[in-house]
Amino acid sequence: MTGQPGDVPPDEYVEAEIQSMLAEDPSVAEQGITVVRRERGLVLYGEVESQHRREEILRRVTERFPHTPVTSDIGVIRTQAPTQVEELP
Amino acid sequence: MVIRIAAVGDVHLDEDVVGRFRPALEELPDCADVLLLAGDLTRHGTEAEARCVAREFGDLGVPVITVLGNHDHQCDQVPQVVKVLQDAGITVLEGTGTVVECAGGRLGVAGVKGFGGGFAGRCASDFGEPEMKAFVRTTRESADALAAALLSLECDALVALTHYAPVPDTLAGEPPEIYPFLGCYQLGQAIDSAPTALALHGHAHHGTERGTTPGGVRVRNVAHPVIKQAYSIFHLGDQVD
Repeated sequence: MTGQPGDVPPDEYVEAEIQSMLAEDPSVAEQGITVVRRERGLVLYGEVESQHRREEILRRVTERFPHTPVTSDIGVIRTQAPTQVEELP
Repeated sequence: MVIRIAAVGDVHLDEDVVGRFRPALEELPDCADVLLLAGDLTRHGTEAEARCVAREFGDLGVPVITVLGNHDHQCDQVPQVVKVLQDAGITVLEGTGTVVECAGGRLGVAGVKGFGGGFAGRCASDFGEPEMKAFVRTTRESADALAAALLSLECDALVALTHYAPVPDTLAGEPPEIYPFLGCYQLGQAIDSAPTALALHGHAHHGTERGTTPGGVRVRNVAHPVIKQAYSIFHLGDQVD
């Protein structure tokens, strides 16, 4: 988790601003990230297509809100070939 | 006889993703007759990102058919994006259809990006401000184009390919408040107006894989974050016997 002791938990407007930033900032452009307010800060959930994008999201959020504790639980989506087929008779 | 369909959407390619899908895609000629892409091929819809898509999804040894998604419109370079994809041999559908000759029969694919609007009883209306009327008319025009494309195809098995969702079933997991931005019932109505065997869409990253239209057509959300693999494979069977 980012942030320092004494930081103020984020309010609803911070949550909304982060959600908009993730979608509209050209360096992020992610609409599939969920921002959840918890008692001690924000948690970011979701999945992206690369490690670089995961790191960039956390960097942009902490840069914009340096005093908001943020936990990133964003994964990188797997790209293995399927092992099963769905039969649709 | 069976027609084998591979499908994925929302791959959001840029330089940082090129090569990630390729090893799985190289297996396609052994396990699928066609690859369908359900839009959002790029992050911002630039020509440069489209070239990344062409590198990753070109020359696969199976026909590749796609619709565009909302991300592919972001930079207003749709004609350039479409040209790059077409030059790579990828068929781009928008209110159009195509027929692929497969070993198991003729597969017809009709595609449209689609649009939001919401679902029966909880949707936007063509009423009020010009902006709202333009929104709903976009929804209806898109669905009408899909219906016309579906009905125009002569084939043994018919598939509808969209980016936006035609039913709410496959949105389960998304906040209900944003359903009107994820799809519309008019796409489902278009799918039910034709003898459609399968409908594939993307867009809803937190959604669910399986659903059906009110008319009983099977719907699959193949957004990459939902299927969590390079692509899904469907075997369409009885319709072509």
